[in-house]
Amino acid sequence: MTRRSVLMGGVVMAMGMASLSPASAQDATSRIVIGTTADVVNFNPLVGNSRSDTWVTNLMYPRLMQMTDKGSKDPYVATAWGYSEDGLTAWMDIRGDMTWNDGTPFTADDIVFTVTAVTTEKIGVTAGLIPSFVSAKAVSPTRVEFTLSRPDGTFLTNIGFWMPIVPKHAFPEIGQVAAFANDKDWVSAGPFALTEVNAGQNYLLTAVDNYPLVEAGKASVDEVEFRVFPDVNAQALALRAGDLDLIANSLPAPIARTLQGQPGITIAQAPSLGWSHVLYNMTDAELSKLEVRQALSHAVDYEAIRAIAMQGLANSTNSSAISPVLSYWADPEAKEYSFDPELSRQILTDAGYSDANGDGFFDGLEFSLLYEQSAADIANWAQIMKDGATKAGIKINLTGLERNTYLARGREKDFDIYAGNWAVMEEPAAYLGLAYRTGGFINYASISDPDLEKLIDEAQAATTPEAVKVPVQAAAKLIQDKVYDNVLYYQTFQFAYNSDKWDGFVVQPSDLLSLVNPLSLASVKPKN
Amino acid sequence: MHLTGYFLQRLARGLVTFWFAVTVTFFLVRLLPGDPVLAVAAPGMTEEIRQTQLQQFGLDRPLLVQYFAYLRELVQGNLGVSFLRSQPVSQVLMERLPWTLLLTGSALLLTVILGVPLGVLAATRARGWVDQVVQIAGVVGQSLFVPSLGILLLYTLGLMLGWFPIGGAVKSGLTGFSYYLSVLHHLILPCFTLVLAQLASYVLTLRATLIEALGEEYCDLARAKGTRENKVVWKHALRNALLPTTTLIGLQIGFLVGGAVLTETIYAYPGVGRAIYEAVGQLDFPVLQGAFVLLAATVVIANLVTDVAYGLLDPRVRA
Repeated sequence: MTRRSVLMGGVVMAMGMASLSPASAQDATSRIVIGTTADVVNFNPLVGNSRSDTWVTNLMYPRLMQMTDKGSKDPYVATAWGYSEDGLTAWMDIRGDMTWNDGTPFTADDIVFTVTAVTTEKIGVTAGLIPSFVSAKAVSPTRVEFTLSRPDGTFLTNIGFWMPIVPKHAFPEIGQVAAFANDKDWVSAGPFALTEVNAGQNYLLTAVDNYPLVEAGKASVDEVEFRVFPDVNAQALALRAGDLDLIANSLPAPIARTLQGQPGITIAQAPSLGWSHVLYNMTDAELSKLEVRQALSHAVDYEAIRAIAMQGLANSTNSSAISPVLSYWADPEAKEYSFDPELSRQILTDAGYSDANGDGFFDGLEFSLLYEQSAADIANWAQIMKDGATKAGIKINLTGLERNTYLARGREKDFDIYAGNWAVMEEPAAYLGLAYRTGGFINYASISDPDLEKLIDEAQAATTPEAVKVPVQAAAKLIQDKVYDNVLYYQTFQFAYNSDKWDGFVVQPSDLLSLVNPLSLASVKPKN
Repeated sequence: MHLTGYFLQRLARGLVTFWFAVTVTFFLVRLLPGDPVLAVAAPGMTEEIRQTQLQQFGLDRPLLVQYFAYLRELVQGNLGVSFLRSQPVSQVLMERLPWTLLLTGSALLLTVILGVPLGVLAATRARGWVDQVVQIAGVVGQSLFVPSLGILLLYTLGLMLGWFPIGGAVKSGLTGFSYYLSVLHHLILPCFTLVLAQLASYVLTLRATLIEALGEEYCDLARAKGTRENKVVWKHALRNALLPTTTLIGLQIGFLVGGAVLTETIYAYPGVGRAIYEAVGQLDFPVLQGAFVLLAATVVIANLVTDVAYGLLDPRVRA
């Protein structure tokens, strides 16, 4: 039987070995190796929405605009854009010198195809952001015109930032685009072309000769390799050992601190384009009262949360739903709620609440706070929040849940107080609608305020930035005054790279763009 | 019972077990908390898009309709299409399976090669110092936490001494012999970790059964007939003592295919275990079901092989 067991193991091993095939030989002159924690799930850029998907497909499928470090959108493939006077038509001019890597010109037809597929098949991120879209038409190879059902000043910037453009001639007909895996024979138009995929291991991209969006028309580095390290500790060891040049995902504070002192390794920082917050369930009899929400807002030690739970890697949004990172939109007059438990007690006493049984808590003010257990930073500050509320005489019970259960409970609005964060919220007029309009998909708090709705409508209908700014700032102020959302901070993300070997990264805000954006990887140069 | 009859009986039992496992898995996966669409929700998600996606995934149909549709497809060898990857599940799993077979096959082989002599050594020197060392090492081995062990090995043998690569299954860009050499180089640490994690149970099981066998009358008889002790151990006692270990090997194969999740995660090894881990987080039902079908099939086949081997070793079980 020993022989049989040995044979069994040997056969199994041989089957594995025989099925493995060698990778094609590459003799790169320069290759930057980037670590990610997850595989690419979907190579169809319209469908995939994990970070790894975005990092890889962003290098293959161009977006029309690019994000600046101030959070605004600048020309990229699109050179100019605007709206008709009545706001029912939008137009966009694009560059005329781009081609797909099979030699086919990149034209306005590709944009028309992409936006039509996205809206017809209701695919991914963009579909939900452009409800005003009716149709698109290529009026020349470099100009697209869009017909809108109502004036919508967020339309162009939403498609400009969120919608990667795919090749009409290499994708299936509309109706089948969402189900297209796009897992071989890639036709792309980014600075790099995908040349090799080893599932679970690595993704290799090679610089293309014609990429007019960077100086010299070609990326400085010959190849980009994404290597998958599901465990972030092993990933950090690989960076130290020189197996990786850059870690794409943002690092937990303890690991970043360990890497900080290592020779040749530099930690870069990028601000988040989203925020962390708590939402109050407005369908709850007590939480629907402004005084209770105000009392809760003054029961939070904001500084302690940022300094202790976030280890200093977070900044105040001044309690506004528009982060100061979005400097054009942010209201400089906004001021953070003060941490003042005594004020909280006073507000509640004035509102008629009392502690009849003398247990230290106001009667009837006991809430559960829902959070995702595996999100270590939130788990830390939830406790700080509970302690602050206790000082204010409000009882909070912490409910930490597994991610999918937490998401489902949030979606079903099954909570009193919801702790979480939004990832990339870069266009106030658009995201205010998603998060605070009656029935908005991420309006978990069930906020319904006609005054707020009116301001959001006004902001979305405006077609110039100047006209949008006034109502979005007014909406943010109303949200803050009514304590519909208690915004705690926006995070500072940390990224590590080998600065002995590489130079010239272009840092963009958010952990989605960070150092791993097309402009950055097309610009990075090997040192010496 | 004749061996063919015995085999057919076990095969029928295996098929029923397989169907049961598939059925339980199907409903269990759907009991997981959460919404597959929300698990990958994008910022612009609306209720309308959510409904469209549920429809595309076939999740808007009644559960029993989904179940019978799944069984129908399964009988035709179709494991479905991944919600997230838009790829057939069989393709997703087949990309990973060779690596898992290599890793777990090597681990199984090494475990047996090391486990049998160690078990024999401990049993034949029962209560001696060698036995004490093996037992203590066994208890320590059983309590090893794979992620901690993995990071420790990567840090010391990978980073500090530079003897082994930090994760992955092969260095990219290699061809021919150097490719296979690189595969073996990358295999050593994860394989060693798996062997350490499971060796103890083999050694301790074999030790216990061998001690018992060595005290049996047939061993005494062999000794009385002048058979050398070495031959008594290896020829007579070990054959019987290996029966429970054989069962253990059969059971462990299923565990190895799916249970190497932690090892594959720490060492960035691209196996099936990691695919399961990722699918759980993303509620990718078709991949999860496909992986469980694979595991169920592996366990059923391994048990069938074990049963047949058992029947060959000990004809009494066929009675």
